[in-house]
Amino acid sequence: MNLQTIVNSLISDTVTTSLPLFKPELVLCVTIVVLLVTRLFPGLNKIPPFAIALLGGIVALWASLPAGGIADWAKIERQELFTGMLTYDAVTAFIRVFLMAFAVLFIVLARLTGLADREDGQDFYCLAFGSIIGMCIMASANHLLTLFLGVEMASVPSYVLSGVVKGRRRSSEAALKYAVYGAGTAGVMLYGVSLLAGILGSAHLPTMAQQLVEFDIAGKLAEGDQYMQVLVLALGGLMLGVGLAFKLSAVPFHFWCPDVFEGASAEVDGFLSVASKAAALALLVRVGIGFGHVPGETPESVAAAARPTATVQLAAAAADVPPAVRLIADEAPVTDGDAETADAAADTGPLSPVRSFFVQVVGIVSVITCTFGNLAAYGQKNIKRMLAYSTIAHAGYMMMPVAAAVALVGRDQAAAGDAVSSMLLYAAFYLFMNLGAFAIIAFLRNSMQSEQIDDYAGLIGRSPLVALCLTGILVSLVGIPPMAGFIGKFRIFQSLVEAGGPLMMFMLVAAGLNTAISLVYYLRVCKTVCIDSPPDTSRPVALGFFASAYVLALSLPVLAFGILPNSIAQWAQAATAGLFG
Amino acid sequence: MDSSWLPTLLALAWLTPLASFVFILFFGKHAGPHGRFAGTVATGAIVFSCVLSFVAMFGAWLPNNELPEAHHGDHAAGGDHDEHAEDGEHADEADHETFIRPAASPFLLASSGGDRGTISLVADTAEGEGDSAEHHIAPNGKPPAVYGVFYNLVTFGKLKLDISYYIDALTVTMFCVVTLIASCVHFYAIGYMHDELHEPYTDHEVTLTDGTHLVRKGRFYRFFQYLSLFCFSMLGIVIAGNLAMAFVFWELVGICSYFLIGFYIERHSASTAANKAFIVNRVGDFGMLIGMMALWSSLGTFAFGDTQNDQGEVTEPGMFSVLRTEENHYALAPTESMEVEGARVVGEGEEGESSHAGQWLLLIAGVGVFCGCVGKSAQFPLHVWLPDAMEGPTPVSALVHSATMVAAGVYLTGRVYPIFTPEALLVIAVIGCITLFVAATIAITALDIKRVLAYSTVSQLGYMMLALGIGGWSAGIFHLITHACFKGLLFMCSGSVIHAVHTNDMSYMGGLRKKMPITAYTMLVGCLAIIGAGIPTSMYGLSGYYSKDAIIEQAWSFAGANRGNPLLSILLIAPVIGAAITAFYMFRLWYMTFAGEPRDHHRYDHAHESPRVMTMPLVVLAVCAIAIGWSVPGTNLSITSLLEQAQPVGTTPGAEGVLAENLVVPAEQLSHVKAVKIPAGWAAFSAAAFGVLLATIIYLWRMLNPAEIRDSFKPLYAFLWNKWYFDELYDLIFVKPTHWISGLIAKFDRGIIDGIIHGTAATAKAAASIVSNVGDRTLVDGTVNAFANRTWDFGLMLRRLQTGSLRTYVLAIAMGTWITYMLVSFIMVARGTG
Repeated sequence: MNLQTIVNSLISDTVTTSLPLFKPELVLCVTIVVLLVTRLFPGLNKIPPFAIALLGGIVALWASLPAGGIADWAKIERQELFTGMLTYDAVTAFIRVFLMAFAVLFIVLARLTGLADREDGQDFYCLAFGSIIGMCIMASANHLLTLFLGVEMASVPSYVLSGVVKGRRRSSEAALKYAVYGAGTAGVMLYGVSLLAGILGSAHLPTMAQQLVEFDIAGKLAEGDQYMQVLVLALGGLMLGVGLAFKLSAVPFHFWCPDVFEGASAEVDGFLSVASKAAALALLVRVGIGFGHVPGETPESVAAAARPTATVQLAAAAADVPPAVRLIADEAPVTDGDAETADAAADTGPLSPVRSFFVQVVGIVSVITCTFGNLAAYGQKNIKRMLAYSTIAHAGYMMMPVAAAVALVGRDQAAAGDAVSSMLLYAAFYLFMNLGAFAIIAFLRNSMQSEQIDDYAGLIGRSPLVALCLTGILVSLVGIPPMAGFIGKFRIFQSLVEAGGPLMMFMLVAAGLNTAISLVYYLRVCKTVCIDSPPDTSRPVALGFFASAYVLALSLPVLAFGILPNSIAQWAQAATAGLFG
Repeated sequence: MDSSWLPTLLALAWLTPLASFVFILFFGKHAGPHGRFAGTVATGAIVFSCVLSFVAMFGAWLPNNELPEAHHGDHAAGGDHDEHAEDGEHADEADHETFIRPAASPFLLASSGGDRGTISLVADTAEGEGDSAEHHIAPNGKPPAVYGVFYNLVTFGKLKLDISYYIDALTVTMFCVVTLIASCVHFYAIGYMHDELHEPYTDHEVTLTDGTHLVRKGRFYRFFQYLSLFCFSMLGIVIAGNLAMAFVFWELVGICSYFLIGFYIERHSASTAANKAFIVNRVGDFGMLIGMMALWSSLGTFAFGDTQNDQGEVTEPGMFSVLRTEENHYALAPTESMEVEGARVVGEGEEGESSHAGQWLLLIAGVGVFCGCVGKSAQFPLHVWLPDAMEGPTPVSALVHSATMVAAGVYLTGRVYPIFTPEALLVIAVIGCITLFVAATIAITALDIKRVLAYSTVSQLGYMMLALGIGGWSAGIFHLITHACFKGLLFMCSGSVIHAVHTNDMSYMGGLRKKMPITAYTMLVGCLAIIGAGIPTSMYGLSGYYSKDAIIEQAWSFAGANRGNPLLSILLIAPVIGAAITAFYMFRLWYMTFAGEPRDHHRYDHAHESPRVMTMPLVVLAVCAIAIGWSVPGTNLSITSLLEQAQPVGTTPGAEGVLAENLVVPAEQLSHVKAVKIPAGWAAFSAAAFGVLLATIIYLWRMLNPAEIRDSFKPLYAFLWNKWYFDELYDLIFVKPTHWISGLIAKFDRGIIDGIIHGTAATAKAAASIVSNVGDRTLVDGTVNAFANRTWDFGLMLRRLQTGSLRTYVLAIAMGTWITYMLVSFIMVARGTG
């Protein structure tokens, strides 16, 4: 094989396979270029940048939608793009639709609140789009280098975005903190990447998983004198995790979050809390499944391969066990005879130590994150700071199903897919809830010049629509029916029950308790808004028609999806049906 | 019209009140002066519903479903029932050949020569027919019904929550009755609530701290808004095709009654009564939830009807079909999953002996669902809310006490009738029996005109439950319908009186018949109907005559069938005595209000007949109260034949207890034989006549002085006057201990928990101040100050930007990674080596 053939095959792979599937990102790239170019020419700079950005966003959203409608998702086969750097499957498609939809909503919001004004509108949109491209890469990363590249591409524009309000000291301070913190964690992550790649001899996730199988962790641990190698591996994994934890704002790498959220403008907070978080969660799924699952592996094949002679019968018996019926306590009665097969069906296989490592770390971190976020939100006076802690807590909730999914991979891949779908579902609901909340905060900031919770007192009298929408969104964030948040939480809890085991039960209990804890600070805002009498210095709140429509357009789905969650839940399920190719 | 029109028609009739509610909710305040137009909208909506219901009945139901021969209204012809098995075209062909399961038929037992006391009467009556040997009652099949799904709310695995419909003769009949009475109430309310149109409205019942009366805005439109929602909710229960949907509307009815009872929210008594009604109902609903869980976890469906595919094959059987399968001749038998589920709940039986686990579970489910009905239909021991509920405006009382709220409980009991085991039925009967007796006795002493009627409602509901419990399904439901008419009438009459004299207290009334003749004589019709006036053993009488006699006949038949257990004969004695008491207190009420001389001349002089918008509904309802039990001349169309058509699947042959072995629930048609009918008819008649006579002696002819009687039975009088001390008892048993416990917990919270928290906080504060003084002020500030000495400007900026904390943050990255790694590696090593 000479260089010519390599180059040729590379070109054909790129042009025929990869680029068509990379369309939405390319559209965004083109939009960025167009935005920058129009500024240079005197005639063209009359075109409002918002129009270009909106057009670009909508085209990208259209390009990201699957050709044959949502039903097509279930049929998407897993593919590797750009010689294995990226992976393309239904989850990528789902997250991309999510991100592109978010991008459109976000630029509309920035326009409505006047954050992106005529002067530096181009910059703002370019930064946002650049970050979104990074997030798309995060969500489809299949290689540790693209992983790192994606994280950085998503982060660096965010640093600038959080300081986009020039001349405000807090804003600049937030940007600085964010950048320094991000740089620190990026360094740690890069170190982790180099450790992992060094030990396993590759940075391509499926190859690394294959290497891990051969690495024989269980055997090395058992021998005793070789466990140092495993420890180095664990260190690499943890350091990689630091980078993810930074993006997720998981405890103890959350310090940036409250300061940045308080300092940055509310619109940017919405961007950071929704898009950035969703991409980070998708990346967490990629990493968890990338290391914990070799493509093509099924529980039966693993069980058969692990104990080829003795357990063939048992494995066959395990295959006969009817698929678990979800959502109802209708499990087949487990008798003594079944218990053995249940053991056989339990997580075996060479990668199970990796999985249990991942599950335990993510599980425990998620519980701590969730609890910390909710407790710290208690005394906050600034609504953005409070929502920052709420974001931390929600990151915790959303990490739980990822842990559950990885725990399930070795046993029941359909259930594992379901667990991931519950995360996607929650992320989708979270878009409406959090973007809605931050949009309301931004609009209120414009009219009352304050972001203190106390100044929202008696809002119901001044602007009933906004007060109602805000209350509905907060109630949904707690997770009370009939709001969408309830369905999301319900599905997450369901995936935890599905996964079973003491750790999952602990997480379930912790998540349940956390829901109760979070009630206090969300409802405190609701009380302030709806019951407290307005302060004497209150100013009238007037939202324009478009602003009201925007708020309503984000709030109504929160209620509607709570009552009729089926459509979106089915999309999420379709997106994860083929996750384990 | 095709019967496929039924769902459309009834859904429209069901949703029209909702539309009216929504309209008034948004525009009611601005509809006409002070929202006057709202009343018109609500009334128009319910009248439209009523018309649709009747169109559904006569246009879509009757032409498509042939009526069976009526039995109950047909008092003269005592005997010809032997062709019962043939009367429904739906009865399965196979049933004629196959003998029914022994346990389901008392006749088979009789011929097999058992030694039980149950047999003799059954055999006697059968011989009276002359064809005893061949006579057996085949179980009826599924009644003709239309089942389907309007909308699938959500599907979680096996759990399907639908908005569905189950339409049989009972549904259509109830639609007609509910909408008719609600229409009357709406018209009546336009007149009665007229005061609310005044702006501002002065509530004379509420005295503020400064001695003046409360002045508020009129709430005319809001009243009709609630009424519309109330009707929508009630119709929702009636049309519901599954138990879950019924439960949703069940709760909606509850919340509507809360709104309406508490309509005069500023009055303390009204808000307390609303709370009481709501809370007491929640107690019952708790039981209902348990029943629903038991049913769902073991049957996996809430649906009443079967889902069929296009070929007419049953794809998903409803719960009645699951419990009463065709193979089992529609006899109630727990399913296998019930046995398993039940064994899990009540435990396995002894070796070699059937544990009846499934039967127990069915009992739990049945009694659980019935608990909800106990709350809603104000049965003992949850009857306490209903008399207080008259704090609401009188039209509400009329609606609550007749066609909506309390009817819901009896209706649901009737609807889920196929799931009740004989033991559950016994529970229902005993509860009904206690209720009817207790409430009737309390009504004797009450002086508040509405309170008398309220207790009479409770008592009559007891009759209905008793009838259902002893196997008289159509008797109980029939009484529900007749009672709805005459109790609505009675309440509206009482409202008319109150409207005229501005008091509820009967001791200020008297002689009013001269002032308000329409009210007086329509109320007399109501009184005669409720006591069941008619010519004994003939077929002529007011509506109550047919339904009440049917209940007493069934009780007679039940007592005969259970002769082995004398305790159960109370179920016969109590309703007969109750009939006498009913007659007594109803006529006491009428005499005290309308007859004799006026007791309060001032009020008498100001009294006047109510406006026509209020009296017209009275006349309409009076006609119903007289005639609703009759059959349409020349046809066999009557309420009874409709009910016969709706007879729940498999319930005609009665049943026999499994857990309680001596219990026999006799077939309902056995109560129509002469040997039962004649003595029962005379017993009912003489009881009622005795009650009327006694009332006449005391209150009309004044041969006995009520005050003297009161003094000679002082302890008994006090006992009844205080309503058997139920409120005090509940206060002592439930309210006081709850207060005590919550007080204790509050103390614990304030004293100990808060103490701990405050202590912790104080400790943390102290520790923080030490850290702050020593660590922060001395070390950090010292360092920073030293640093700032050289680069003063830069340092100042750093301090302003809190760079110190950023440094901490970055340190935290490294420390976090390191600590996590140490923990993880420690655990891994410990595991790997250990």
